[in-house]
Amino acid sequence: MYETFEHTADLGLRVRAPDLQTLFADAGRGLTSMIAPNLDSIRPVREVRLRVAASRRDDLLFDWLSEILYLFESEHLLLSQFDVEIDAEGVRGAARGEPVDESRHLLEHEVKAITYHGLKVEESPEGWLAEVIVDI
Amino acid sequence: MGKEAYGGPLEKINDYLWRIPKSYKPGMRVDGLIYASEALMELIRADQAPDQVANVAFLPGIQHASLAMPDIHWGYGFCIGGVCATDPAEGGVISPGGVGYDINCGVRLVRSNLFYRDVKPHLTELVEELFRQVPTGVGRGGKYHFDHRELKRMMAEGPRRLEERGLATAGDIDHTEAGGRLDDAEPDNVSERALERGKDQCGTLGSGNHFMEVQVVDAVFDDEAARTMNLEKDMVCVMIHSGSRGLGYQVCDDALRLLRGVPEKYGISLPDRQLACAPVESPEGEHYLGAMRAAANYAWCNRQLLMWQARESFETIFGRSWQELQMNLVYDVAHNIAKFERHTIGGRERRVWVHRKGATRAFPPGHEEVPPMYRRIGQPVIIPGDMGRASWVLVGQHGSMDQTFGTACHGAGRVMSRTAAVKAAQGRRIDQELKQQGVIARARSWKGLAEEQPAAYKDVSLVVDVVHQAGLAKKVARMRPIGVIKG
Repeated sequence: MYETFEHTADLGLRVRAPDLQTLFADAGRGLTSMIAPNLDSIRPVREVRLRVAASRRDDLLFDWLSEILYLFESEHLLLSQFDVEIDAEGVRGAARGEPVDESRHLLEHEVKAITYHGLKVEESPEGWLAEVIVDI
Repeated sequence: MGKEAYGGPLEKINDYLWRIPKSYKPGMRVDGLIYASEALMELIRADQAPDQVANVAFLPGIQHASLAMPDIHWGYGFCIGGVCATDPAEGGVISPGGVGYDINCGVRLVRSNLFYRDVKPHLTELVEELFRQVPTGVGRGGKYHFDHRELKRMMAEGPRRLEERGLATAGDIDHTEAGGRLDDAEPDNVSERALERGKDQCGTLGSGNHFMEVQVVDAVFDDEAARTMNLEKDMVCVMIHSGSRGLGYQVCDDALRLLRGVPEKYGISLPDRQLACAPVESPEGEHYLGAMRAAANYAWCNRQLLMWQARESFETIFGRSWQELQMNLVYDVAHNIAKFERHTIGGRERRVWVHRKGATRAFPPGHEEVPPMYRRIGQPVIIPGDMGRASWVLVGQHGSMDQTFGTACHGAGRVMSRTAAVKAAQGRRIDQELKQQGVIARARSWKGLAEEQPAAYKDVSLVVDVVHQAGLAKKVARMRPIGVIKG
């Protein structure tokens, strides 16, 4: 489950999930929803493999979201479905979506970058929580 | 981390200056100083920006104070509106977060020989033409495509490279800060990913707060300076606000990734990871500086190509060449940049790295880096406001060298979060409201206009009053918007 939260100049993304795999999948969906709010309009016609490795969990989330953003920026690819696996080295997964088609996709924000400011990945008795602020 | 009010100390020094004492947080090396009026300070306290001013005071080698301009607001790491100078001779650092993702985001102002009465009958048509010709919005590429080799030459040379292709003139380059080129750029330090993001984005506006506006000179406050800039009342101008697009964002992102673990390596302790930094005189610091300069030069090419497209649109609508319309560049300023400059600190001249993150250089009359045609009046300082009220042209004053490392504000500064602005716009047509005020606005999405509505910003004139009274820069002219295109 993801939601946006207030930041004066930019936008915050907060994700809650029962496990880490879902946390990363929902964070990916949350990021895409900031760019194109209607995820239902994105057809899963193309699949890409993603892999990121980092020693810290928050860096993993940062790198994961940066990969998704880079695919949008370089190939105009909107990704809305994620299968995530976590292993000792990091996160890998399959992401599905399609290139932007302006007749069907309303684009709302240009996300310039993922930031480290207030970046958080935490486990609590209720599950996992992540927060990240993106530069708009 | 949500939006919370600042609860730390703020001591009033005078009517436009406030101090955060370095005793506020252990680790602060200098005080924080914020330029603001009482009224603006009420708005500034509403979020964490003052705390970010205090955090910047942790950076090794910082001189004088961690400074903030009256348009300061909550950013990530550095506040937006922050200024910090570090001395390499004292272990001073360079911090990519002190420049920002949008390296050399900045503003340029173009004048014309058209007056409001000439443009008014064609205004809607002109704004439509600009909106058709100038690429705006999320992920949108432009009509100029450059391969990696050409991009690297542009990053080394800036708009001079475009002059060879007939897309810039010598006059344009003379009227651009630093002549549109930071020396010692290292395009080879720019990653393939950054090149890939930048290849079709040069000459595109982007989204968020970037814009192109048709403006009218509404009031002149300094006749001599206005005359020197060839500005007069009722004259139509074009203001362009954009930066280094995806290329610059990626350069910053790459640098922050390379800096993981680096502050610890050099024994630097920081209160926020986004302030990641490296000593200027270190391999990591030098690598970033080479890439940052390259991205800055790319940004000047971007604004040059945006201006070129604006000139073409005016040619289409008015049926005369841009030269006949005298659409000359008044000046182009960077407001997200780090520069190695000479400043007098404690009675001694030193060279320091001045980080300006949402702050504009404002060199005074007589300064050697002010281009000759403006040396008598001081460097033009271009301050965009919101799309409903005003923008300003100022000139740098001697007070900026004494107080702020030759710096003034960069804009109005947000007062509403994006979320709050969208809420406030529910059930409204911002474009219709603007039209009633005489402003034709076109944007790719309703939300884009809602987030950027005038009420989302402080009144830029209140911000400008502070830098004027503090002697950082002097008012020359106020412009009002009549046409706006946005992403």
